[in-house]
Amino acid sequence: MTRILFRYFVLFTLTLLALCALSFSLIYLFPAEPVTTLTGITPQNLIQHEALINQYHLNSNILVQFGDYLSELFAGNWGVSLISGQPLSKEIMLALPATIELSACAMFIVVVIGIPLGCYSGLRAYSNADFTINSISVTLYSVPVFWLAVIFILTFSLQFGWLPLSGRVNLLFDIPHQTGFLFIDILLADNLDKSAALSDAFLHLILPTLSIALMSTASMIRITRRSIIDVLNKPFIIAAKSKGLSSRQIFVRHVLRNALLPILPLMAMQITTLITNAMIVETLFSWPGIGNWLIQAIYQRDYSALRMGMLAVSTLVVMITIAIDLFNRLIDPSREKFESVTI
Amino acid sequence: MSRFSFYDDEAHPSPWQHTWRAFKSSHIALIGLAVLLLFVFFAFFAPLVAPYDPIYQNTEALLIPPSWTANGSIAHLFGTDALGRDLFSRIMYGCRMTFGTSLLVVIIAMLIGVTIGTVAGMLSGVRSSVVNHLLDALMAIPTLLIAIIIVGILGSGLVNSMWAITLALIPQFIHHTRSFVRGEMKKDYIQSSTLDGASNLQLFYYSILPNMFETLVVQGTLALSIAVIDISALGFLNLGAQPPLPELGAILATGLDAGYLAPWSIAIPGISIFLMVLSITIVGDGLRSALRKRVNR
Repeated sequence: MTRILFRYFVLFTLTLLALCALSFSLIYLFPAEPVTTLTGITPQNLIQHEALINQYHLNSNILVQFGDYLSELFAGNWGVSLISGQPLSKEIMLALPATIELSACAMFIVVVIGIPLGCYSGLRAYSNADFTINSISVTLYSVPVFWLAVIFILTFSLQFGWLPLSGRVNLLFDIPHQTGFLFIDILLADNLDKSAALSDAFLHLILPTLSIALMSTASMIRITRRSIIDVLNKPFIIAAKSKGLSSRQIFVRHVLRNALLPILPLMAMQITTLITNAMIVETLFSWPGIGNWLIQAIYQRDYSALRMGMLAVSTLVVMITIAIDLFNRLIDPSREKFESVTI
Repeated sequence: MSRFSFYDDEAHPSPWQHTWRAFKSSHIALIGLAVLLLFVFFAFFAPLVAPYDPIYQNTEALLIPPSWTANGSIAHLFGTDALGRDLFSRIMYGCRMTFGTSLLVVIIAMLIGVTIGTVAGMLSGVRSSVVNHLLDALMAIPTLLIAIIIVGILGSGLVNSMWAITLALIPQFIHHTRSFVRGEMKKDYIQSSTLDGASNLQLFYYSILPNMFETLVVQGTLALSIAVIDISALGFLNLGAQPPLPELGAILATGLDAGYLAPWSIAIPGISIFLMVLSITIVGDGLRSALRKRVNR
C-alpha cells in the first residue's frame, strides 16, 4: 500500500516535472522574445529589457533558469497576460472552475446514462434491444461535436427559442465571484433570487453539457457492453449459476463488480476526449472556461497565456488520470499493470 | 479404398479469407465499407470527377439552394456558398483533403508508435517502468491542447495541424503495441524462437508482427476516425487548414457565416464528416467482431 502510494507519488512528480520542463521550453520555442513569453511584459526600452533579464536570470545557465522558473511557479508568480495585462494566475483561476463545472456535469450524464444502458445491452447481447442501443451509440459516436453544437444552437436557441444561446448565466444576475463554481457561488450569494438564478444557470448549462456528453456516453455504452459480455463468458459465472444463484444475485455480486473494474482506466481516457470536446464547445457557446480562454489566446498570439494555460490544463488532466489509476490499483490489487480492455 | 485425409479440402482459406468471410456476414459492415470506398474514391480521384474548381468564385451564382429544392438548379448539385463556389466540388475536394491527410497522419503515427511501442515492450525493469508510466501520463494531454501549442510555435496551417494530430495519436499506438508485445513475449512460440537463436529484431519481424497486424488494422481504423474528427475540428476552429482550402471543417466554418440564410452550407459539410466517421467506425467494428469470431472459432 505505502509502496504503491510512493510509486504513484514519484510518477506524479516526474510527470509534473516533465510538464514544467515542456512549458519552460516554450519560452524559447514560441516566436517571441523569451522575456516577453516568460513575463508577458513587452519591454519598452533597453533599460527595462536589461532589468527584466537580470530579474529572471535569463543570462545564466539553462539549469539555473529552469530552477528559477520552478520557484517562481510555486511562488504563484505566473506572469501576466500579453494582451490584457492581468495576472495569469487570476485569469486561470477564473476560467478553470467553469470548465470543471461543465465537464463534471457532462461526466455525470455519461456515467448515469452510459453505464446502465451498457449493462442492459450487454446482458441482452445480440437481441433486438441490444442492436438498437448499439446502433444508436455508434451513430452518436460519429457525430462531430462542433457540428452537433451548431445544430443545437440553430434548433433550440434560434428556431424555437427554448434555451439560451451563450454564457453561463443571464447578465442580470449579479453573482459575486467566490469559488468560481457558479452553483456554489449562487448559493453563497446574498440578496439574490436564488431559485430564479439557479434555474437560469441550469438552462444555460443544458445545451453545452449535452453536446459534450453525447459522444462520450456513446463510447461509455460500448465499453460497458463489451466488458459485461466478456465477464459473462467467464467460467466463474457458470459456477455461480450451477450453485443456484438467481440471475439478480449473479449480476450484482459477480458480473457488475468484475465488469466495472476494467472500465475505470478507460474512463480516465474518456476524460481527455471530454476535455478536448469541452474546449471546442466552450468557444461555440461563449462559455467563459479555460478552453475558450486558450483559443482566444492562440487567436491573439498571447504567448505567455498559452504557456501557463497549457501547464494548468495538462496538470489538471494528468492529476485526474493518475488519481483514477491509483484508485483502480488500490481497489483491484490483482490487476495486471498494463491490462486494458477493448470496446 | 477410402482413405482418411486431412487435406481433402481443395482449398484452405487463409486467415485473411476467414476474416473476410466473417466480415461479409454482417450487412451493415458491408454497407459501411461501400460508403468508405466512396470516400476513398473521392480522396484519390476528386480532380477527375469534380464538376467545378473548388475555389472558383462564380459571382453570378451566389447562395443557390441544393438541386432538390424548388429554387435549386441541377448545375450545382449541393448548391453554392456565399462566394458562389460549387458546394459539391468543395465537398469532394474536402473529402480528399480531410480523409487523405487523416490517412497519412495515421500511417505516420502507426509507424512511429509501433517502433517505440515494440522497444518499450521488449524493455524490462526500471527503465521500462519509467518509460511506460510517463507515456501513459502524457497520453492524457488533450489533442486540442497539443494542437494549440504546435500552432503557437509553427503558426496555423494544414501541415502543422497534421503534425499536432500525429503527435497526439502516437501514444495510443505505443500503448497498444507495448501491451501486445509484452503479452506475446511470455508465450511459448516466442520462447522457442529465442532458443533457436533469433535476435529481438527477428523475433519482432517473423513472429510478433504477423500476429499483431490485424489488431493494428483495427487500432488504425479507430485512430482514423479520431484523426478525421480532429483535423476537421482544427479546420473549424481556424487553426488547421486555412479558409480558401477546401477542408470539411473549414467549409463548415465558412458556411456558418451565412448559416441562417443558407442552412445547407452547414448541413452538408457536417453530414459528410458524420458519414465519413460513421463508415470508418462501422468498418472498424465489423473488422473487430470478424477477428473475434475467427479467433474464438
